[in-house]
Amino acid sequence: MKNFVLWIDAVGSYWVCLGDVVTLGRPGGEDVDVPILGDLSRRHARIRRDGEGYLIEALRDVSVDSHPVRPAAALTDGCQIELGGSVRLKFRRPHALSGTARLELAGSHRTQPTVNAVLLMADLCILGPRPHSHVLCRPWPREVFLFRHEETLSCRTTGEFEIDGRSCRDRGRMTLNSHVAGDGFSFKLEEI
Amino acid sequence: MYPGGTRPLDGYTIKRGVGQGGFGEIYYALSDAGKEVALKLIRRNLDVELRGIRQCLNLKHPNLLTLFDIRQDDVGDTWVIMEFVAGTSLQEALEANPRGLPVPEALAWIHGLGAAVAYLHDHGIVHRDLKPGNVFSDEGVVKVGDYGLSKFISCSRRSGHTESIGTVHYMAPEVASGRYGKQLDVYAMGVILYEMLTGRVPFEGESVGEILMKHLTARPDVSMLPEPYKTVVARALDKDPEKRYPSAAEMLTALPPPAALPGMNRLPSGGRREEKSEGAAGPEAGIWTEATDEEPVLRLLRGKIHELRTWWRQSRLNTPARIGLIVLAALVLLHSAPVVISLALTACFVYGIYWVIWSLVHTGSRSQTAPPVSGSTPTTYAPPEAAPAPQPAPTVLRSPVENHRPWRRHHEQPLSALVLGPPRQRAADLLGSLLLSTLAAAAMTVVLFLLSGSSRSQPLEIEQLAWLFLAAVAGSWTVLIPAKLWEGTLGDQTLRRFMMMILGLGLGVLACGLASHLLVNLPDNPKFHLWQPGLAARGFFGEDGRPLWQDYVAAFGTLFLLVRWWRQADPLRSTRLSLKALIVTVVLAFLAADAWDFPQPWLPMLAAAISVSVQLASPWLGHHRRMHPRL
Repeated sequence: MKNFVLWIDAVGSYWVCLGDVVTLGRPGGEDVDVPILGDLSRRHARIRRDGEGYLIEALRDVSVDSHPVRPAAALTDGCQIELGGSVRLKFRRPHALSGTARLELAGSHRTQPTVNAVLLMADLCILGPRPHSHVLCRPWPREVFLFRHEETLSCRTTGEFEIDGRSCRDRGRMTLNSHVAGDGFSFKLEEI
Repeated sequence: MYPGGTRPLDGYTIKRGVGQGGFGEIYYALSDAGKEVALKLIRRNLDVELRGIRQCLNLKHPNLLTLFDIRQDDVGDTWVIMEFVAGTSLQEALEANPRGLPVPEALAWIHGLGAAVAYLHDHGIVHRDLKPGNVFSDEGVVKVGDYGLSKFISCSRRSGHTESIGTVHYMAPEVASGRYGKQLDVYAMGVILYEMLTGRVPFEGESVGEILMKHLTARPDVSMLPEPYKTVVARALDKDPEKRYPSAAEMLTALPPPAALPGMNRLPSGGRREEKSEGAAGPEAGIWTEATDEEPVLRLLRGKIHELRTWWRQSRLNTPARIGLIVLAALVLLHSAPVVISLALTACFVYGIYWVIWSLVHTGSRSQTAPPVSGSTPTTYAPPEAAPAPQPAPTVLRSPVENHRPWRRHHEQPLSALVLGPPRQRAADLLGSLLLSTLAAAAMTVVLFLLSGSSRSQPLEIEQLAWLFLAAVAGSWTVLIPAKLWEGTLGDQTLRRFMMMILGLGLGVLACGLASHLLVNLPDNPKFHLWQPGLAARGFFGEDGRPLWQDYVAAFGTLFLLVRWWRQADPLRSTRLSLKALIVTVVLAFLAADAWDFPQPWLPMLAAAISVSVQLASPWLGHHRRMHPRL
């Protein structure tokens, strides 16, 4: 499954992983979904979405809330993941009814290009002004939902908006390189 | 508006919009090689903007956002290529803390901002548009941006442009008359400092006109700010630019240095709030505690204990050998318990007296060498051009060890004024403390009973225990109630001592009443007297040698005059239960009782019970909560 960067105007950038299994590691490694510029192995850890929960598998030294992980551990909302002793990530599940999770880089380490967080997207991703949103978009007047159905992505919100210049009402289908703009919001997807 | 993916400027791909400033749009872009930059498109006011920005292109300062270049695109639009900051802006930090930032954090921001502004002023540039949206934190380093509006300070300090610039909340009154001097930035810094401390700007209004009118005429309400912030903000917000601080650097010297508390070395950057509490409490915090001047004997003792512990941990003894050693040591101690205990008590007593003298002498010498209070305003008034060169910036907001001065602690206590809750909350806190102190007093009475039973004298009788308990409860309430009223303020110590003495006199009457009501006998142990007879007149005692109310009143009044009880209830005391405070209290109680020939050792026992109850029952802010008072 592919990954993309979500460039949201006036809000920030998010690295979105669509796969059920996501590999974290150093940039340049093959099949690394989330490349982090840090003192890591090429493939350092694997995060697996398992039904409604998440598991982290250690391929190198990994700890969760200061407990070493071997070979795997469950991730809960708010737990702190440490990779290779220096890269720290915070795991969040902001919405109780959605399987989508967010990984926040807690130290000075970054992805390339820099993003505010990594989203492990299940079927639904909420962008909006309320705190339970997966992406908090304070200036937005309402919520925008990104849906995944099998291999297609679609966008849903109230009212009219445009996807790649084509006007839609309430919902519309997107590609991994679409530009979406509506009343008070705009964002662009870029496939990686 | 350029959508993501477009390349208006050769070599750079726009990824997303960052925001829209008054003078143009700002985008986050990547160069072809992958360098992250902010691109600012200038659509209007071209000449004004460009002239200012060209002058700034080669400025270098760690607290200024770097400008890389100015370029023109094919359409003829001008773009400024700038450093991109991934962290939060001060505006976002303020939105996340609607009641104001924690004081150390506010200090770190204002010092970074002030260093950048001082540098700009030193290069003849006025920012003119300082506001929280233009101040960022990049991995803990404050970065000031958008100084494109800056312009050279003209000789007349009058500008031909009459248009309103900047955001009205931060706009100095003299802008109305077209004056754009350096004091404009000092005013804006004052507004920002006020907003960081209180969460509100000093002048709010329904319309731009109303806010401008307030800037021109209204006096800012600084009454809720503690010193030195009150003085600094009031002076920075003076309507007359000549009466403000002549430079940003001078305004900074009037403020406490940044990060006076351990662990608050850097600002939190975007979404990384956890980092400062967990990561920063590392080695620096340890250095900080060691740097405090400690009494030499105690330091020696602590060092020896530490050595012993290290030896124990590193020695190659196996577990049975260790257990054997412990048992042997316990046996030796038990066997020689009377000798050891009496030796230890004597040593503690001698040390207590020594410590009181040492701390008195040491406090005296400390206050003499202490630098002037930071809130004092400079007396010399340099003309703006001759303003002192700005100090090298606090680039990364570290707190070097020499930055911490022990005397600061006393100055930091009024900061708690910012931590205080509303009156109802404080009343609830007080009620909780009173209940808790009752429990603690009961526990202390049991402890004293056990201690009296273990020594070879007569164990305490039930009436004596009841007297001790009730008097300890009354005593701790006598301390807790005024301490709650004085909390977070820095009052006159003499006055406080005097008021405590009056309360002590009342407590003496109460204790005497309790003793006669309970028919309790407080026998005197002559071993505990240093000198006899004391100050007490013959009329202070009854015919059977029992003390009358006069003696109670004298002894209790003296005890409450000597001990600074309110400090044991201060939420900013260094530890919750301080052994030092307990020892000092007991020693002073012993001296007070001895002076008035009060039966010994009842007063020291009671004082110990009160001290422990007060310290356990009154609220205490740990170091972590002091840094984040609103968590």
